[in-house]
Amino acid sequence: MASSDMKGFFRQKKKSGISKPKSSKKSSKPKHSASCGSDIVQPPALVSHGSLDLQDEYDGKEEVLRQFDMNMAYGPCLGMSRLERWERANALGLHPPKEVENLLRTGKVNTECLWDGRV
Amino acid sequence: MEMGSGNGVLQREQSIYNSLDESFEIQKEMYRGQQYSQIYFARLHLMRTLLNSLLPTWKPHLSGCAVLGLEKGKECIIVGTLYKHMKLKPSILDEYSKERSASPLVQPHNFMHSDDYLVLEDESGRVMLRGDHLLPSVCVTGMVVALHGKETGAGDFLVEDILEAGLPHQIELPLDHGEDKFVVFISGLSIGSSSANPLHFQLFVDHITGHLGDEKEQGIAAQIVQVVIAGNSVEFSRGIFNGQNLGSKDQSRLSEPIKELDILLTQIAAGIPLDIMPGATDPANFALPQQPLHRCLFPGSAAYNTFRSCTNPHSFELDNVRFLGTSGQNIDDLAKYSDAENKLEFLERTLRWRHLAPTAPNTLGCYPFTDRDPFFIEKCPHVYFVGNQDKYETSLMKGSDGQVVRLICIPRFAETGTAVMLNLRNLECYALSFGTQFGS
Repeated sequence: MASSDMKGFFRQKKKSGISKPKSSKKSSKPKHSASCGSDIVQPPALVSHGSLDLQDEYDGKEEVLRQFDMNMAYGPCLGMSRLERWERANALGLHPPKEVENLLRTGKVNTECLWDGRV
Repeated sequence: MEMGSGNGVLQREQSIYNSLDESFEIQKEMYRGQQYSQIYFARLHLMRTLLNSLLPTWKPHLSGCAVLGLEKGKECIIVGTLYKHMKLKPSILDEYSKERSASPLVQPHNFMHSDDYLVLEDESGRVMLRGDHLLPSVCVTGMVVALHGKETGAGDFLVEDILEAGLPHQIELPLDHGEDKFVVFISGLSIGSSSANPLHFQLFVDHITGHLGDEKEQGIAAQIVQVVIAGNSVEFSRGIFNGQNLGSKDQSRLSEPIKELDILLTQIAAGIPLDIMPGATDPANFALPQQPLHRCLFPGSAAYNTFRSCTNPHSFELDNVRFLGTSGQNIDDLAKYSDAENKLEFLERTLRWRHLAPTAPNTLGCYPFTDRDPFFIEKCPHVYFVGNQDKYETSLMKGSDGQVVRLICIPRFAETGTAVMLNLRNLECYALSFGTQFGS
């Protein structure tokens, strides 16, 4: 346990170790981007779902959706899909941005909120 | 009252019934792991919109602001959810606390303490409330109010005035037709418990179905158009629930109270429309809104179309008179966490706060709705009842906009032998008592 080699500590590398069917995990795999940089400084707690946190697909669209998640005016974001939360905000007359709705309905974006699967 | 000419056959009065339970049904809800923050948000938003519309008439020179936007010494209005910090409120963490402090002995029926304080919370933040206008003994966690005051130097909010949502709009009572029609309320039958006397309930059933008394008595019974059973119809002996698998003998013992209830309900349903609501001891789900008792529990009575299994809380309209009521869990919870002279005062408060169960989900089990709060009272009822109370109490509450509400506390029948009769024509209320003791 005193080894500083994180890769040895976590036998969760895709190439070796437990072989899980990749396709079943793909749709529910959340996109973690809590750290930017190398995975050597990755704290253990953030490694989950059999993959290390990678800075992947964190683009402008995701940024817009994250700002929508974080906006307190539309209520808490945990426990609901983003589209549901948008629809609730719309039904309550809060005028959520149309852009977010378009992204959620048509774009290939993460449907669940930022904290999904991490809290 | 019609009397069949010649042969003296009495006809029972009839009323047009309209169920309004749709918002309390959870069949369409899907649980996706959401937490209770969602229902609090829905409640806050709903009530804040309402309170904001009332602000101009209340304090026209001030406007609302967020809790985080408070400035020291500046008078303003904040709207948010109240949280009452209670020292004696049981907490699961007490089991893990290392110090065995000499805390005061917890009274099981009320957790109030003079050190309780109130905090107002909205999406931006919380602020502690001070002042004599807002008494912690009256308030509970979960109610949404607007407060007028200013921030003090210590960072607290000194309350100068309070605005509650008030009674909602009420559709006027239909005109007096001159015919007396009665609704009978009964609750706490507790069939299966040792304190329930089956004779009392049988006497009740015989009376309302017109099998007792002379023509005059039967005439009165013929004017009953609806029976509402407000919860706790059965009580299972807790002794058999000891964590072991139930043997067949215990299993048949378990179903006896329901079978007995079904036999009695069949007698009622054969003649009068009957609404049965689940209560805390009934075989229904625990969290509010409790779902209707399943029809398979009542093989005899469910065959009649007069038999209706309803949700708890229950809302319906009879000849355009609006009824709303619960089996008692909401009021009992208020009694544990706040203080009032009598249960009717709790009823009044829930109406003025425009919320049936403000303590849900804090101390009262509740389904985690995400987009709505079904306990919000949208239209003022004409009759507001609560079941399973200690004694029969009733009063007529008047609202600021001319609303008139009959408040009824229905006593537990197994203990008191008393049911309640309400006259639809003028909202007058009477107690209907049954006894089988012949005193010396």
